[in-house]
Amino acid sequence: MTQTTPKAQSSVASEVAGLRLHEVRKSFGSVAALQPTSFDVPAGTLCSLLGPSGCGKTTTLRIVAGFELPDAGQVLIRGEDRTYDPPQRRKLGMVFQNYSLFPHMTVAQNVAFGLRMARVARAETEARTRRMLDIVHLPQHADRYPHQLSGGQQQRVALARSLVTEPSMLLLDEPLGALDKNLREQMQFEIRQLQREIGITTLLVTHDQEEALTMSDMIVVMDRGRILQAGSPTEVYENPRTRFVSEFLGTSNIIACTVIGAEAGGLRLRLPGDATGPGFVVADARPRSAGGSALVAIRPEHLRIVSAAQAPAEAPRAMVSGHVFRGATHVFQIARPGLDHPLVAYRQITGPVGDTAIPVGTEVALSWLPGAARLLEDEPILEAAA
Amino acid sequence: MSAVAAMPGRRSRRTLGAGLWPVLPAGIFLLLFFLLPLAENGLQSLYLPDAAGKPVFSLDYYVRLFTDGYYLGVLFRTIWVSLLATIICILIGYPVAYFMVRHAGRWNGVMIFLLVAPLLTSIIMRTFGWNVILARNGVLNSTLMSLGLIGRPLRLLQDPSAVIIGLVHVLVPFMVISIAAVLKGIDRRLEEAAELLGASRWRTFREITLPLSLDGIATGAIVVFMLANGSFLTMLLLGGGSVVTLPLLIYQQFLLVQNLGFAAAMGNVLLVLAVISLFLQLRLIRRDGGAS
Repeated sequence: MTQTTPKAQSSVASEVAGLRLHEVRKSFGSVAALQPTSFDVPAGTLCSLLGPSGCGKTTTLRIVAGFELPDAGQVLIRGEDRTYDPPQRRKLGMVFQNYSLFPHMTVAQNVAFGLRMARVARAETEARTRRMLDIVHLPQHADRYPHQLSGGQQQRVALARSLVTEPSMLLLDEPLGALDKNLREQMQFEIRQLQREIGITTLLVTHDQEEALTMSDMIVVMDRGRILQAGSPTEVYENPRTRFVSEFLGTSNIIACTVIGAEAGGLRLRLPGDATGPGFVVADARPRSAGGSALVAIRPEHLRIVSAAQAPAEAPRAMVSGHVFRGATHVFQIARPGLDHPLVAYRQITGPVGDTAIPVGTEVALSWLPGAARLLEDEPILEAAA
Repeated sequence: MSAVAAMPGRRSRRTLGAGLWPVLPAGIFLLLFFLLPLAENGLQSLYLPDAAGKPVFSLDYYVRLFTDGYYLGVLFRTIWVSLLATIICILIGYPVAYFMVRHAGRWNGVMIFLLVAPLLTSIIMRTFGWNVILARNGVLNSTLMSLGLIGRPLRLLQDPSAVIIGLVHVLVPFMVISIAAVLKGIDRRLEEAAELLGASRWRTFREITLPLSLDGIATGAIVVFMLANGSFLTMLLLGGGSVVTLPLLIYQQFLLVQNLGFAAAMGNVLLVLAVISLFLQLRLIRRDGGAS
């Protein structure tokens, strides 16, 4: 394999004292688990690695933890090069997917383990363990064994165990995957609050877009060993760059439109099946040739449907082909000639009564606010595995 | 009050009775081939022929077994030899099991085959194999001689060391398999968690892996101990009378002296040893079972 000698330390030394990955690469046999990857996590923030299984997020986390050594690249934690340090010396806290509490130790012994390994004096160990158990609301469970606790309680013990040593970073590997929905939402808030209070740099690995959106300061969307997009949750959600990001984060209507031509506001496009209409404009930096096709994403909550009679004549027409009532929203499926899949539109229910659904079969007109339709980049073409 | 209490009791007794029917064939089998011989064995050890040859109840065999210096010696030697074999089996078996589970990878299957294959060969074959290796002009002695490590052949056969070697060889697979089964079940992430919390490799082993594999060691130890206790061929063929343990003594009493009662008494003592071992195993596993 290519042996890259670490470049001059100063060239990648970070001013941000959180986590920096610089051109980190990893293959298992002939499978490239991680293409050269770089990203920064500013100190004190929570960054999510989001993606489907096999996207490289877990490999990234394990490289940061020191369980795997990268083939090339550098891992800097608090500005120090930790690429080849064993896990013992990285001073990290980690919560594992199944918590990995030591089954033969009590809650207190579990929490105190890291302190014991660091040879902290007994009195101090006890005091810090107790304080930590207070913080996670489990002071009365100190002498229980992990198997006597509920999933949520085990989760809290794992969190206490990872934080009691005051680590320089916290790693969370799908920490809420095993909990039921209500508890998961509660723990999302609790972990987030604790993380903010302590101000610890945190790397969260998850495949749950909702978890990533709720908990993160920054989301890194990954697929097939590459980073597709990184940014704040609102940025990534509202302005997805590619089809994958747009569909992985929330629901999206992806429409292949025809390019009419460039103009001042960006690019004028026409919906498929629409031969003559004026079309609509999306913002676009890169010029594209007329007649080509371009992918556009519209979030269901941004797609509005009004009855055809009230709409202006040039508004695109469609037909309601399905309806689901979901408590807080109506979900409509909308069919339109020229589209393979029906579009999805949400309508928030605003009043207590009288907000009736539009019956299936009604002819409607589609509209959206300018800016709601986002032009997607073409999917990056993968190079053959290195 | 009592009527109320009796109702569910009677009902459960009836369902219990009905539930027992399918077990009947197995019950009959156990009765015929296990309980009856056992009872016969017990009775035989408790009745001694008097001067007229009429059997009289007596604890004489047991008293002799537990007071006579020679027999006590045999009893303690039996336990001691088995213990020693068990300890050596743990020391050899644990690293083998650990390697098999953690590092063998795709060779795991091959290793299991190599471990189990000897169990499929007759114990007599294996024991004679050791005879060939350990004999005065055997493979081991001639190798050591040609290397110049020893001047004249060592006396390895007809010696306690040969017995221990033979026992360990026959019994170590049981230890490896029971330890490996438990090791395989230990979540690697527990070890990773410990390492991330600052524990060295050795510390992680001592604090996490070893305590969590104690169940496997206990099970293996009890199986090996019991099998060593009852092992007879190894003692006979490799020890050549140098190590007299209970099974060997039973053989002598039964076939050579034809004192069936005394042989039965010794058999029962061996049985009690086995029962105590099993009881210990149940206790150990019940205590740790909940935790893992």
